[in-house]
Amino acid sequence: MGPGLFGYVVRRLLWAVPVLFAISVIVFWILRLAPGSPVDTILGQRYDEERAAVLNRKYGYDQPIYIQYAKYVNNLFHGDLGVSTRHQDFTVSEVIWPKVKVSSELGVIAMCITFALGIPVGVYAAMARGTFLDPLTIGSWLLLDAIPAFVAIPILQFFLALKLGWVQLGWEGVWSPNIILPVLVMSLPGVAGVARFMRASVISVMNEDYVRTARAKGLKERTVVITHITRNALLPMITVIGLSLPGITAGALFTEQYFGIPGIARESLAAITAPDFDVILALVLFGSTLFVLANVLIDISYAIVDPRVRVGARRG
Amino acid sequence: MSNRTLTLMMGFVAFLILAVGVVFIAVLATGGGDDTGGSDVPASGSTPTKKSSSGGGICDGDKLVTFGSDPNSILDPIQVRDEATSEYVVEIFGGLVTLDLNLKVVPDIAREWKISDDGRTYTFKLRDDVVFQNSNRRVTASDFKYSIDRAADPANGSPTVTLYLDNIVGLKDRFNNKATEVSGVRAVDDTTLEIKLIQPADYFLAELTYPVAFVVEKDQIQKNPRNWTQKPNGTGPFKLAEFTPAERIRLVRNDRYHLGVAKLSEVDFELGGGSILTRYQNDELHIGAVPGIELDAVKSGKSPLSADYKPQPRMAISYIAFNPEKAPFDDIKVRQALAMSMDTQKINEVLFFGSQRVADGILPPDMPGYTESVSGPKYDAARARQLLAESKYAGKMPRIILTYGGPAGDAPDLLTAITSGWKEVLGIDVELEARDYSAFLRDLRKRNFQAFDTGWIADYPDPEDFIDKLFYSESIQNEQGYKNAEVDKILLQARSERDKNARFALYARAEQMILDDVAIIPILWPVDHLLVKPCVKNWPQISMTIPKYRFIEIDSTKK
Repeated sequence: MGPGLFGYVVRRLLWAVPVLFAISVIVFWILRLAPGSPVDTILGQRYDEERAAVLNRKYGYDQPIYIQYAKYVNNLFHGDLGVSTRHQDFTVSEVIWPKVKVSSELGVIAMCITFALGIPVGVYAAMARGTFLDPLTIGSWLLLDAIPAFVAIPILQFFLALKLGWVQLGWEGVWSPNIILPVLVMSLPGVAGVARFMRASVISVMNEDYVRTARAKGLKERTVVITHITRNALLPMITVIGLSLPGITAGALFTEQYFGIPGIARESLAAITAPDFDVILALVLFGSTLFVLANVLIDISYAIVDPRVRVGARRG
Repeated sequence: MSNRTLTLMMGFVAFLILAVGVVFIAVLATGGGDDTGGSDVPASGSTPTKKSSSGGGICDGDKLVTFGSDPNSILDPIQVRDEATSEYVVEIFGGLVTLDLNLKVVPDIAREWKISDDGRTYTFKLRDDVVFQNSNRRVTASDFKYSIDRAADPANGSPTVTLYLDNIVGLKDRFNNKATEVSGVRAVDDTTLEIKLIQPADYFLAELTYPVAFVVEKDQIQKNPRNWTQKPNGTGPFKLAEFTPAERIRLVRNDRYHLGVAKLSEVDFELGGGSILTRYQNDELHIGAVPGIELDAVKSGKSPLSADYKPQPRMAISYIAFNPEKAPFDDIKVRQALAMSMDTQKINEVLFFGSQRVADGILPPDMPGYTESVSGPKYDAARARQLLAESKYAGKMPRIILTYGGPAGDAPDLLTAITSGWKEVLGIDVELEARDYSAFLRDLRKRNFQAFDTGWIADYPDPEDFIDKLFYSESIQNEQGYKNAEVDKILLQARSERDKNARFALYARAEQMILDDVAIIPILWPVDHLLVKPCVKNWPQISMTIPKYRFIEIDSTKK
């Protein structure tokens, strides 16, 4: 990493600070100003002013918004994300980290499968361009993509669990056979997208001079496809992989609902309907941090693999 | 150079994919090894038996697996405010009195009690053989004194203490920080507790069955004020062995329970939701739920699940309420017309396959003091049209909006059916409007709505909880703003009436007057649709949340 690259990275990271600050302010204010509060939900139909006052004082909602915000930020710098109003014996971190862990483990597995299948399928389709095999391959994966999760899941559950008895449907942790179904449902629909992107990328490098040169040198077709075409076609995939990184932790709502997976999507839904202010805020901040970081990472990896980006950075 | 980096990166990605794939396949092949959950509680050897994915695996042993909802508050009796959370809390903790399977108030930790002649002083004699689950300490009267003082402490912010216990002398003062303890509660000696009331109230004992009056252990709470609820030390039939939010609650038997030790060794509540019916069919759960689309088949006996079907009536009511101060509902004829043009019977048949109970009154049939003869206006389309024509809004009906709490989007089928019935019979357009639930509650209190759809779930089995709480003119829960001086008079009289039958008769009279005034239009007394495996013995059909799992057993001969 040269000094130019280092400065570039630092600048990009510094930019993340005001972005995250702005997000936190907006979300904090929106939550507090929106109609309805945790106290309303807690008291429900049993609301009265006396009880509400006691609860508002307990959670600190009786103070002006900017003081609440200042306190929040102060706690944040001390690593304290606040307390969940649904589970007051857990801190927000204790509520969300286990779920982030579950969702990201599942997400990583699913993503690896998606790319492991999608990249070869894309290369294959590109190589088969002009024959019926190309649309057939891409089309059949698109078909999988087109089936909504809430249709696919009950059907799969019916056949694989009830009829064949291969799996159970309960949640027993990520490393159990029961997650085959959820992982399939999370990974297979994505294959078509990756494959199509890869196919386009392969086609665009296929006619480059160095490919023709490689063929002219008399290299074996397999060598040409793998080392000259695929490797170069993978370059734009960096963006795709990078941008799907934050998505890994986002969880998959339908999958989590249907399989009872304690992941981040179900948690978000529960937090929003509660509403559980500190948990919502933590989730939004977490998501945006990941997004910002992923973008920085993408830029850095481009700077590493493509010197032209770095040159531009040094000048700018 | 860039070529080498690229090769490295590709190698890395390939390695990642391979590594994950290999681990994945290895784990699948061995059938799942390490559970990252880290179970520190002896699981009574239950984990290895889950291999059999079909067949009667779950009916061997004495562990019940059911579905549950994630608690809405911590498992601290004074924070409980909803049915879902009480389901766990009533099993873990206990109080002076409890409800039996017939919803009668029966002794729990109190052996017996005396009520003074003026009905204002309750003297409880406590059992001397009750110990806290996780320590060997005996429960004494001062534990109850501590628990009630703690419930009333405003720093603890209990949402329910002033709802159920505000009749205790000095409790309101403690809650408003005007006193340092609840003066009306006194531990006379180790086994004698005295509670003084502001007003005599026959339903006070019923109120004591609500978790907020349960006993908690002082030492544990003081040692660990923030986290004690993750391993609470209660006196109930079960102990909390594990609580993982969104995943699982595991209760294990309390072998020293004083009212009779449970037959089940463990009750697991799966909080994930997921596909409950499929999991039930797959023999993963003992208790399942019937989703709406399967209801017809299951109810009519056409489904293999029909034999397991157990309707579970709930002590609750859903209704439509009006603001009698807003046009057009200030005219009773409009209200009557709407009530008489609502064919709930038919709606129940069509939408719910007749599985719900049509509410023709306010008190659910399971409620003590329910009187069958009390009923509201019956469906009569012709009479409804006539009433509407006689009303002062005939021909100039203002815009009517019926608000409900819930997500925006398609309105619930029930409400759509009701409004289209009104349109058909009366030609009135009633618009449906959704409001986010907590905002709905807030506007409800401000009496912002013309008409709204809501409901009520019993806190304790006494008609006072419905008739007085919802319709007394000064009651906070009187969201419709109903006011009838005559009804108020009867309700006040009922509050101090000490003879149960006379009291119930008063409530029946008030209920009939409220229905005649069409303060609300009752819709349904809801019924839950459960599936219970044949090997589950003694599953009780009760309409309220009471400690019930200690009565249940698993009969492995019945599969």
